[in-house]
Amino acid sequence: MTFDFILGCNEVLNSFVFLIEGNLELPQMNMVEVHISTCPACKAELEHEQAVHTLMQDVLRRSCEEKAPEELHDAIYRQIHEQTTGTFTEVVTQYSMTEISIEIDEFGQIEHREVTIEHTEEIRFLNQENPNDDGLTPEDQGR
Amino acid sequence: MSTDLVKESSAERAVRFERDALAFTDQLYGAALRYTKNPHDAKDLVQDTYLKAFASFHQFEPGTNLKAWLYRVLTTTFINTYRKDQRRPQLSAGEIEDWQLADAASHTSDQGKSAEVEALENLPDSDIKRALQDIPEEFRIAVYLADVEGFSYKEIAEIVGVPAGTVMSRLHRGRKQLRERLTEYAKELGYSTDKKSGGKP
Repeated sequence: MTFDFILGCNEVLNSFVFLIEGNLELPQMNMVEVHISTCPACKAELEHEQAVHTLMQDVLRRSCEEKAPEELHDAIYRQIHEQTTGTFTEVVTQYSMTEISIEIDEFGQIEHREVTIEHTEEIRFLNQENPNDDGLTPEDQGR
Repeated sequence: MSTDLVKESSAERAVRFERDALAFTDQLYGAALRYTKNPHDAKDLVQDTYLKAFASFHQFEPGTNLKAWLYRVLTTTFINTYRKDQRRPQLSAGEIEDWQLADAASHTSDQGKSAEVEALENLPDSDIKRALQDIPEEFRIAVYLADVEGFSYKEIAEIVGVPAGTVMSRLHRGRKQLRERLTEYAKELGYSTDKKSGGKP
C-alpha cells in the first residue's frame, strides 16, 4: 500500500492556494488530484476557490481602471520638452583612430607603439522657428 | 545596439519616449492612486516617474519589457520618496516563514459559496478600492502588480526589489486579507456569506 497517496481533506483544502497559483510540486499535485476525484466536497471547494480567484482579479481590474487627468498628460509632455529645449537637432560625431608604429633601433630592438585617438563632436542647432513655446504635442516635434 | 543609441539625438530619444513610454500614463496613474491613496500625490508620483524614466531612458534596453521597467521606476520612487515620512506598518521578521501556516480550512456550504460570489460581483468599486487601501502597503503593492497588472512573481520581485519568495508570501496574505475585508463589506450591504448558513436574507 502506498500511504503517501492518502491525503486528508484538511491538507487538500490547504493546498488549493498553491494549486491555483500553479506553485504545487508535481507529486503533491497528483495526490491532490487523486483525493479530489473521490471527494465531491473538496472538488466543489476547489472550483469555488478558482472562481473566487478569477472573480477577485476581474473585480480589482474593473475598479482600479483610471484615466489620468488631462493636466497630468500635459505636465508630462511639458516636462520632457523642457529637458530637450534648444536641442531639436543634435549631431554627435565620433572619430576613433589607432596609430600603430613599429621601430627598429640601432641595437636591433623592436619598439612597438599604439596610440588611440578618440574624438567626439557634438553640434546642437537651436530651433529658432519653434512656432509655439508651450503646448507642444508630439506632432510638433521635428523628426 | 549601442552604436544605434549613440547616433540617436536627444530629440529622437524624446520622440521615442513619447511614443512608447507615455502610452502608460493612465495605467501608471491608476497604480499611483492605489500606492499613494490620493490624487494629488498620485499626479506628483507619475510626473516624477516620467522625469526619472526619461533621464535614464538611454539605459533602457529596447525590446525588453518597457511596462515592467516603468513600474520599477514608479515603485522605487514611491518607496523612496512618498512614504518616507509616513508611519507604515512593520511586517514581522517571520514574514516568509509563518504565512504557509494557513488557517485550518474547512468545507463551506453551497449557499455560502454562491453568496460570496454574488457579493463579489455586486460590491461597488468604491468598496473594492477601500478594501485595497486598508491592507498593508507591501501587500497592496504585490496584489496590485499581480492581479491588476498581471505581472509574474519574477517581474514583481524585480519591480519591488525583493526575493520571489517574499512576493509570494505578500501576495498570498494580501489576497487573503482583501477577501476578508470584502466579505465584511458584503455583510454590511446585507449579503450573508456566512460559511454555515449562507444566502441573501
